Amino acid sequence: MYFYLPILLRSLRTQISLDFEGSDLSTVVQSSIDLSLRLLFYGCLISLARPLAAEDLNTANHIEMKAPSPEQLEFFEKQIRPVLVEHCYECHSERADGGLQLDSREGLLRGGDSGAALIPGNSAASLLIEAIRYQNLDFQMPPQGKLDPAQIAALEKWVAMGAPDPREETIAARLPVGMSTEEGREFWSFQPVSNPVVPDVGGHAFVKNPIDAFVLKRLLDQGLQPAPPAQPRTLIRRLYMNLTGVPPTPEQVDNFVSNASPRSTQALIDQLLHSPSYGERWGRHWLDVARYADSNGLDENLAFGNAWRYRDYVINAFNADRPFNRFLIEQLAGDLLADVTEETKIATGFLVLGAKVLAEPDREKLTMDTIDEQIDTTGKVFMGMSLGCVRCHDHKFDPIKQSDYYALAAIFKSTKTFGDSNTGAIKHWHEYVLESGDNLNDFKVIEAEIARLKKEASDWKNSAMAKLRVAANQKATEYLIASTEFGLADSLVRITEVADRYGLHPRILHHCRRHLEFNQQHAVFKPWHQVQQSYSDTSLRADAIQKIYGPLFAAAVGDKTGRQSPDVGPMLKSVVLPDSMLVAAALEDRSGFLTIPPKPEFAFDDETLAEYNRRMEAARIYESKARDVPAAMGVADDAVLARLPIHVRGSHLNLGEEVGRDFPEVMRNSTVRPVFPRHQSGRLEFARWMASTQHPLTARVYVNRVWRWHFGEGLARTTENFGVLGDRPSHPELLDWLAHWFMESGWSTKDLNRLILDSNTYRMSALHPQESGARKIDPDNRLLWKFRMQRLEPEQIRDSILAISGRLERTMAGKTVPLRNRQFVFNHTSVDHTRYDSLRRAVYLPVIRNNLYTMFEQFDFPDPTMPTGDRSETVVAPQALLLMNSDLVLDSADALAQSLLQLSASDASRVDIAYQRVLGRHPNERESRRAIDFVAQIRSGARLNAGAVDGQGISKGWSLFCQSLFASNEFMYQR
Amino acid sequence: MLTSPLRSRRSVLRDSAVGFGHLAFLHLLQQNRAAADPVINQAAAVSPDGPLSPKPTHFSARAKRVVFLFMKGGPSHVDTFDPKPLLDRDHGKPLPFDLPRVTFAKQGNLLRSPWRFKQHGESGLPVSELFPNVAKHMDDLCVLRSLHGTNPAHGGALLKLHTGSDQFVRPSLGSWLTYGLGTENENLPAFVTICPTLAHGGVNNWGAAFLPAHCQGTPIGNASLNASSVGVKHIRNQRIDLRNQRQQLDLIRSMNQDHLESVGSNAALEGRLDSFELAYRMQASMPELQDLTRETAVTQRMYGIEDPVTEDFGRQCLMARRFLESGVRFVQVTHSDSEVQWDQHGNLYAGHTKNAAEVDKPIAGFLQDLKSRGLLEDTLVIWGGEFGRTPTAQGNNGRDHNPHGFTMWMAGGGVKGGYAYGATDDYGYYAAENKMHVHDLHATILHLMGLDHQRLTYRYAGRDFRLTDVAGQVADDILA
Repeated sequence: MYFYLPILLRSLRTQISLDFEGSDLSTVVQSSIDLSLRLLFYGCLISLARPLAAEDLNTANHIEMKAPSPEQLEFFEKQIRPVLVEHCYECHSERADGGLQLDSREGLLRGGDSGAALIPGNSAASLLIEAIRYQNLDFQMPPQGKLDPAQIAALEKWVAMGAPDPREETIAARLPVGMSTEEGREFWSFQPVSNPVVPDVGGHAFVKNPIDAFVLKRLLDQGLQPAPPAQPRTLIRRLYMNLTGVPPTPEQVDNFVSNASPRSTQALIDQLLHSPSYGERWGRHWLDVARYADSNGLDENLAFGNAWRYRDYVINAFNADRPFNRFLIEQLAGDLLADVTEETKIATGFLVLGAKVLAEPDREKLTMDTIDEQIDTTGKVFMGMSLGCVRCHDHKFDPIKQSDYYALAAIFKSTKTFGDSNTGAIKHWHEYVLESGDNLNDFKVIEAEIARLKKEASDWKNSAMAKLRVAANQKATEYLIASTEFGLADSLVRITEVADRYGLHPRILHHCRRHLEFNQQHAVFKPWHQVQQSYSDTSLRADAIQKIYGPLFAAAVGDKTGRQSPDVGPMLKSVVLPDSMLVAAALEDRSGFLTIPPKPEFAFDDETLAEYNRRMEAARIYESKARDVPAAMGVADDAVLARLPIHVRGSHLNLGEEVGRDFPEVMRNSTVRPVFPRHQSGRLEFARWMASTQHPLTARVYVNRVWRWHFGEGLARTTENFGVLGDRPSHPELLDWLAHWFMESGWSTKDLNRLILDSNTYRMSALHPQESGARKIDPDNRLLWKFRMQRLEPEQIRDSILAISGRLERTMAGKTVPLRNRQFVFNHTSVDHTRYDSLRRAVYLPVIRNNLYTMFEQFDFPDPTMPTGDRSETVVAPQALLLMNSDLVLDSADALAQSLLQLSASDASRVDIAYQRVLGRHPNERESRRAIDFVAQIRSGARLNAGAVDGQGISKGWSLFCQSLFASNEFMYQR
Repeated sequence: MLTSPLRSRRSVLRDSAVGFGHLAFLHLLQQNRAAADPVINQAAAVSPDGPLSPKPTHFSARAKRVVFLFMKGGPSHVDTFDPKPLLDRDHGKPLPFDLPRVTFAKQGNLLRSPWRFKQHGESGLPVSELFPNVAKHMDDLCVLRSLHGTNPAHGGALLKLHTGSDQFVRPSLGSWLTYGLGTENENLPAFVTICPTLAHGGVNNWGAAFLPAHCQGTPIGNASLNASSVGVKHIRNQRIDLRNQRQQLDLIRSMNQDHLESVGSNAALEGRLDSFELAYRMQASMPELQDLTRETAVTQRMYGIEDPVTEDFGRQCLMARRFLESGVRFVQVTHSDSEVQWDQHGNLYAGHTKNAAEVDKPIAGFLQDLKSRGLLEDTLVIWGGEFGRTPTAQGNNGRDHNPHGFTMWMAGGGVKGGYAYGATDDYGYYAAENKMHVHDLHATILHLMGLDHQRLTYRYAGRDFRLTDVAGQVADDILA
């Protein structure tokens, strides 16, 4: 595969402007490139303490090589080439790991990302020699193991003699680079946003606003017709689900259907856009993009006890229709604004919410990893660019250079994401303490109380353990006697029988026997083994052990009375009694023969254990409920770094050329470079630049997101990738027109919503009269010949089920994660204390990284560590299990059934109410009949069960029927 | 050759539908109706065109299934499978070479092992007295003594071991195998993890990340629960009996078919019809598979189930065997204790004694059982923790985390038995010979399963991802 790489790469360059998704060639290219060229070669290669200065490289390149002598050639062929071939070529020839090729002289001298591999004549300064010597822990080659000393010596000698090398071949191919900046500027997404002329489609009735004209033009070009408008009944459900996340009530549906008019639709849209539920639904979309979570996840899962303030900020921003440019600036630099408020500081939580390796012991790595997460997230969220890959090398496909990355990294490195405190190995993220009128001393009292409760519980445990220890020590002799009665292979059941007879702790006895086995030569235990070997009779053994150890242990604890030379009988004349100091030490050794099981479940009896658990639980609950210091996650400026060195291959141990703060070159709209303030990080300038109307990506990426949230699919389907490997927009002119219009409207999301909702494109039916014909032309409905049917998202499913069954609680805002800030969500115990039985809207349920709420997880809630603008729609069996068996669904079905039973005495009208509430329509006669029969069937089955009360059978039947409606495809898919 | 899907992830997911077991929709409608009873211990035929259907391997596979016996916390290699005479000799002296640039905690002087090592079997492979039962199987073990990773903290190391990345959320090893190989029993998940720990990466350690959702591991309980009480979530309806549920599913099916007729053919909608049938069958098949009373008393004893010390891990291992036998591709069993795990920063002696006593017999019984059933040949057994422990002391009687050199072992599935591969230095601090990075381990596991780690790729966000990132080398020497 590697063999073909250079050729394929060349073809890639010519392919780049084509949409090659689906082409075999591109797949091959893509995979081979990624396989062979992606950076970050683990550990071994990335880190090189000493960067090679540019002059060294030049010297190396320009050294005049004398023709090698025949002796030198022989030396090379015998001693050097075989080593290189055997140990180096696999990675450093065609594959060129680390940019290094060792299969030619030129490759050696040119070197890789870390600089020239060798300096002829100077082995001490040659990287190749440094690597093979294996002295620098972070820089060792070959990775699988050190070469033989003789091979190392040969290579040293070879370099010292000037590295004579007969290999004439020149390097076949250097690592390819992505698009150049100039090529990049030609790529669609980097071109300035245009303001296309709205196509003239000759006064077609479909065209209600320009969106329709753009869509219709493409449809007609392909010989397609748009689907007819959706029925009012379908439209109102679509609008409610889309804008608020819950379905309309039967009354709302009836009202709308009976008064359907353009004006009433308009009014409905306005009403829904102004409802607080709009922010709860649309804010959630943004939270997907912002990888919002209430816990850190990743390595150490600590609660983000203050993340909710950011969540509420987002919901409020959508409800208030905060202009998107302002929204962007607040999230990236709200702390630096002239009109800074608590709210704008809360907004910068955006940069802190990422999953971090909080226990990373290498502080500098942690800093750079965190910056990487921030840059990658910012790139994907606002610019549809994967900037993360540029940490280690120029982008393989997009015109983004490593210098662009470190120019941004300098801005983020001048930003404080971590606080100054930590809990043991776990670092704390940065937070702002908010003005709240609270006395901060009150929180010191709370902290002290938490610490006290925890200490009390652990003291209690320690003292219970100590008691066990004293008791065990008092029976030390009995433990040794009892240990003679069973073997290593005996089960704890058997050991417990023995232990019970002697009044001993079975687990201590279990350990004791093992300890004796592991310490046969120990002076204290040698006699025990002698007894064991000398006697097979239990009582003789017991007698001997008693005689030997009874006095010893007594003496060790200071009881002089029993101290006398034991009469051990003739069999054991050779027993050497241990020194009393050793005996005392053995008794005192907490991991000695009388080790108390460290696990409370094993150490304590039921009562003691229950008390210990009660205390632990009390401490945990107190902590969970204790008030947090009012604070918000957010970034602040740190010491300003105007310049940052490029980290070669992404390693902070291998620093290259310095770059100053700046914006990615390909996106710059002016050759005049911005001046970054000396005393500020530059985040504000960065944010303002992205929020500018001249930026080619920001508005495009955002309007595409909004489109996705209305239609279930973006104009460009890859909402986070507007790069070369991203999807090309299905309607590029429409995308530009929308982006332009959006900026003209003052970046108002609600205006954009309204424009889209007003279009006939949005209001099309999900069914097309010439479905099969249209499918042949455009199987994926990319041209929008009908409305796309969408599977409900987990929040919609849950909130709708609760709303329909009358259980949804509409309280907004506030902290909902049941954990104190920075409390462990999971420590080593794996006990899940987070509950999801709240009946508030799903947007307020805790988002626990590493252990998402099952309902979320099953129904494609996005991974809350990565920005997601385009959720998946999978169908997996556990979804069915959840709908069939979970309390959420069963309780809701019960509640709905109860209300049906109360509302009407007629079966037919109960079915009708249920259909209206769950599906927003009346059942037809067949459906009604089927439902009634089903309920009757369940009831008669219940009658057959002896003792079942008839009423139970009835409510069970209705409940199962209601549950079936919740599980139905018609409910789960919005049309 | 497995290439990444050409269509966007969305369209694949939309069109393919149904995970866990997995069904390909249309023709299965009939098949499902025929299969009224759950099929246990017999691989249900898998539809050939579903994403989870068995897939051709890149080359012939040496193993068909994998079981990973994961020892959470980091068992000490120098006290178990990697004897170090010099450590004994130089006890109390400082380490005669440099410590790593970054260590987790402060390091003391060399600490000898409290346990003796003895050679076993024809191969004479040594193991410490902590594992008297596993010792009987040394001729089956391929001891990998030169493992090394990159992260000295639990979280990072767990993620690295399970997903290949300690910095990003990436698909787990089991998910990659599921993606690459599909499943052999459509009534069961292809990837099961029994009593996994929720700490230190939690779900990410069996997550599918950007791979299709059906590649996700199915957890059976978690580490805080007893193995005797664990199950798949929502596997049972406590309120109604199966007869009523069957009637209910018939009603749902009837409603859904009406709906399907009104909207026209649609793969996701059709797949959803089947997902209820599969779920219904799983309700019976999963608990039945977990029901260990179906095993003979002899078998139960072999796993130490009658002994409270070994019961919990024994149950996990026996459950694992039942899953493997029924066509589950990848099973992870986790030994994770709510108090100390294998993480003996202090009190190494008491902790390791207890931990080893809990797992030794079940592991030996498991190996024995696989062998006598002829399953060991094509089942790859892997044992190990997220890292090893330092030969230097932490405090006076503990050992710190050591990702720079540690031991894992394999058995069965096409690896050499009675074989030791690689070595650490004289004291056991750094991997030194035939070094095997976690990426190399992954490459080797995939290789044994018939997959080329460089060709098993998935395109996401414009890049082709691999389990082994850009690294990974197959340890050819260990192949039988």
